[in-house]
Amino acid sequence: MEEKQEVTPPKYLMNFFRWFCDPEIAEDLEGDLKELYKEKAQRSIALAKMYMIWELLRLFRPGIIKNFEGHKNLNNYGMLKNYLKSAWRNFMKYKTFSAINIFSLTIGMAACMVIFLFVKDERSFDAFHEKKDKIYRLCEVQSFPGTNTQNVALSMPGMGPTMIADFPEIESFTRFWNWGDQLLELGDKRISIDNVAGADSTFFEIFDYPLLIGDPGEVIDAPLDAVISREVAMKLYNKVDVVGETFVLDGDQCVIRGVMEDVSDNSHLQFNIILNIKSATLDNPNFDSQFGSNFLNTYFVLNENADLADMSKRYPDYLTQRTGNEEINDRYKLFLQPLQDVHLASTTMEHDYNNHRKFNGTYVDVFILVGIFILVIASLNFMNLTTARASNRAKEVGVRKTIGAVKGQLFNQFILESILLASLALVFAIILALVALPLLNNLIDRELLLMTLLSSPQLVLIILGLTLLLGLIAGIYPSLYLSSFKPVVVLKGFRSHEKKSLFRSSLVIIQFSLALGMIICTLVVIQQLSFMKNKDIGFKKDHILLVDMNEQSNEKYDELKQALLSESNVLGVTASGQRLGSNFHQWGFKARVDTGMVDLTPSNVHVDHDYLDVYGIKLLDGRTFSKDFATDDGLAYIINESFAKELGFENAVGQKAGHSWYPNDSLGTIIGVTEDFNFNSLHYAVNTLSMVVHTEWGYSEMSVKLNGENITQALKDVERIYGEFVTDYPINYQFLDAHFEELYKSDEQMGSVITIITVLSIFIGCMGLFGLASISIQRRIKEVGIRKVMGASVSELVTLLFKNFASMIFISFLVASPLTFLFLSGWLENFAFRIEIDPLIFLVGGILALVIALVTVSFHVIKAANSNPVNSLKYE
Amino acid sequence: MGKNSIGEFEEIVMLTVAVLFQDAYGVAIKKDIEQRSKRSVSLGAMRTALKRLEKKGFLKSAFGEATAVRGGKRKRFFKVTPYGRKVLEETMDTRKRLWEAIPDLAFDA
Repeated sequence: MEEKQEVTPPKYLMNFFRWFCDPEIAEDLEGDLKELYKEKAQRSIALAKMYMIWELLRLFRPGIIKNFEGHKNLNNYGMLKNYLKSAWRNFMKYKTFSAINIFSLTIGMAACMVIFLFVKDERSFDAFHEKKDKIYRLCEVQSFPGTNTQNVALSMPGMGPTMIADFPEIESFTRFWNWGDQLLELGDKRISIDNVAGADSTFFEIFDYPLLIGDPGEVIDAPLDAVISREVAMKLYNKVDVVGETFVLDGDQCVIRGVMEDVSDNSHLQFNIILNIKSATLDNPNFDSQFGSNFLNTYFVLNENADLADMSKRYPDYLTQRTGNEEINDRYKLFLQPLQDVHLASTTMEHDYNNHRKFNGTYVDVFILVGIFILVIASLNFMNLTTARASNRAKEVGVRKTIGAVKGQLFNQFILESILLASLALVFAIILALVALPLLNNLIDRELLLMTLLSSPQLVLIILGLTLLLGLIAGIYPSLYLSSFKPVVVLKGFRSHEKKSLFRSSLVIIQFSLALGMIICTLVVIQQLSFMKNKDIGFKKDHILLVDMNEQSNEKYDELKQALLSESNVLGVTASGQRLGSNFHQWGFKARVDTGMVDLTPSNVHVDHDYLDVYGIKLLDGRTFSKDFATDDGLAYIINESFAKELGFENAVGQKAGHSWYPNDSLGTIIGVTEDFNFNSLHYAVNTLSMVVHTEWGYSEMSVKLNGENITQALKDVERIYGEFVTDYPINYQFLDAHFEELYKSDEQMGSVITIITVLSIFIGCMGLFGLASISIQRRIKEVGIRKVMGASVSELVTLLFKNFASMIFISFLVASPLTFLFLSGWLENFAFRIEIDPLIFLVGGILALVIALVTVSFHVIKAANSNPVNSLKYE
Repeated sequence: MGKNSIGEFEEIVMLTVAVLFQDAYGVAIKKDIEQRSKRSVSLGAMRTALKRLEKKGFLKSAFGEATAVRGGKRKRFFKVTPYGRKVLEETMDTRKRLWEAIPDLAFDA
């Protein structure tokens, strides 16, 4: 025989053929193929192979390819298909339950997504700096005599340059000095630009604010070098490439060395123009070693080995050495705040002027917590409803087991269903979040984008993974429960053989404890917020317009004031050096007492004569400032009650006192004592305060009290008159109310988020309870029937059915109350001025929850109690 | 045309099976068709046709013996069933009647 044994088609081709070919015709077809191959191979093996491949490709047709479905094959596709089908049929058969299930998960997920976006947005602050982990802000704890101890974000100009010399851990430093609004002169044009700041030449090397033009290491090397933002460049020159152009600031000619991208909103430092810090101190060669007053921010880059604790041990020696003052350590303690903490962990920081959109970081944690809560409530709902519905699926389980399904398969089936539901909920959640985001952005004043969720593949994977996990976790208990049914028992006629399901009841209790806790929190938060809004803070802040002052308006202040006062819509005009709502600058104050002189450091503000009248601040003793006394300009002080106490005067009025720099023999007089009023936010206790008139100092802000009945017209009048007197600067104003709202923005936003989440979680909880009620009452329908036949009245039956639910709510109340109380007490610590937690609130919350729960189940209860016993009993 | 109708390719396959009589298995049928009708036949197309015809009951099949040439795989021999024969005859009759019905002059023009 010339036929050689080896002449067979390649194995892999045959294996491939066997894989796809219908086994019924595989044998003879394979024989045919081999026979043909052998024949071709006699001429050329290569050709035969080619032929084989060609022939195999042509075998790829229906009728040859095996059927991938059905029992003939050893895979699970058919079973999976069946699972999907029965899942779908179950969804459709119990539409209400499926809707409740999916919808509660949807709400939970959507809420979580939004919270995630919010948290991500807050955490994105200052995250774009490459050295973010090594950058620290220098802060101080100030404990001045006669005033409250405070954390301060400011530092002295000499600290940066001297600390880098004394501490080897410090790699580089930059100071940031905000000069606020400045008037730029460009030829004969004069343009006012806000957020002009000074910084050291290292600024752009330490912080990664992207430069469009210019080298980060060189752009602000020398005094009068400037970097301007793209927006300012367009405004001033109508182009971006403006390097080399000059402008005049404060009489000095500045040169633009670089152009930067507009500073993004998630940076705690905000500036439009940044100059070398020395631009403002050209005539002060000692600026770098200047100690005394704190008015700028200092940032350090530390090296990797830096140990903050070790450094802080050396601060006292450093301060004594550099300032030559032994006592300085009694007043100042230095500490470094990580850059990452500046945005979210500076709530206790006062004089924190350069901290854009500062937010209370603990609220971010609270948001995460409530996000988790709502998801837990939704998943518990899911577990509960699925388990409760078990009796509906019991027969299915029985039949499947009889046919041969093993426990594992049934478990898989129910897990698959649960994951499917979760994925469906995810889809709906995305849609819901998409719809709700614009409304929410409006409410909390953000620009959150759902697209952020898709920004990185990891995030998408995490979301999908979490959804899977959620489906898995929520599905595990019901799946275990369902798959453990004994076919004989369930097929014989499923009775709820379990007594009272302790597990399900405890799920409901957890759910309602969370919801109840949130209800109580919401009530207390709302109370505290309205307390802050309505608290008598000691002065009238309504309808007060704050107008920025500048060189020109200060020059013409008296005429401007008279002109404004002649308008009928203007009720009063006054001015001050600082704005109400945050702490005032603190400087030394001395007074003569019996034993000699006392030196204290209260908050100080210089004001116009009629400040107390316009703001309606009440005097306890003495008189207000008056133009009739020449000495009232500079030598008269009105102090607050706290300060009078601190000074130890029984009768403060008439006592000799003055600024710390006044010689002891030329002091002024305390002319009045006011009630304590909250010039700082209500987070802080009232500080000691001294008010003084210094007309020659100039004011930073004018307060115009308007007639509340015609605000629009009044605003127009103010703008018109301002324009008549001040031509160089555009008018820039804000209402004091709005300013106060900003102060409590963190709190308000937390209030709204908590309220929304609470409403949602109550809603989810109720949906679950509604479903659960319908099932558990269905189970007792025979009992109800018999009782009715025996003569029970409808009201007796309603009470009977309610009792079970009411007791669950009661237990939830016992669980939730103490935990909530602890949490709320902690939260209220944030406020120096706070409400007492009223036990009544807990009662109100509990009753509210009870009523909501009972209303939810009442539909089923009343239906059951009213039903005709014949209907429920006839099938026995 | 009832449900017994068969396509042109199916008809050729069935006829070839009849022609080959005791030797009608895959490769042989394929070669015979290719030889007679001078067209290339893919194994797939042919095997599908055979399968379909068998399912319709026009053919029946039985395994033969395994040979070394076929790598130890058995041949499947096909045979036309009486029902299949009836269908072939009907098809032929239909054609015949059609031919007879063609007027003499039809092809002259």
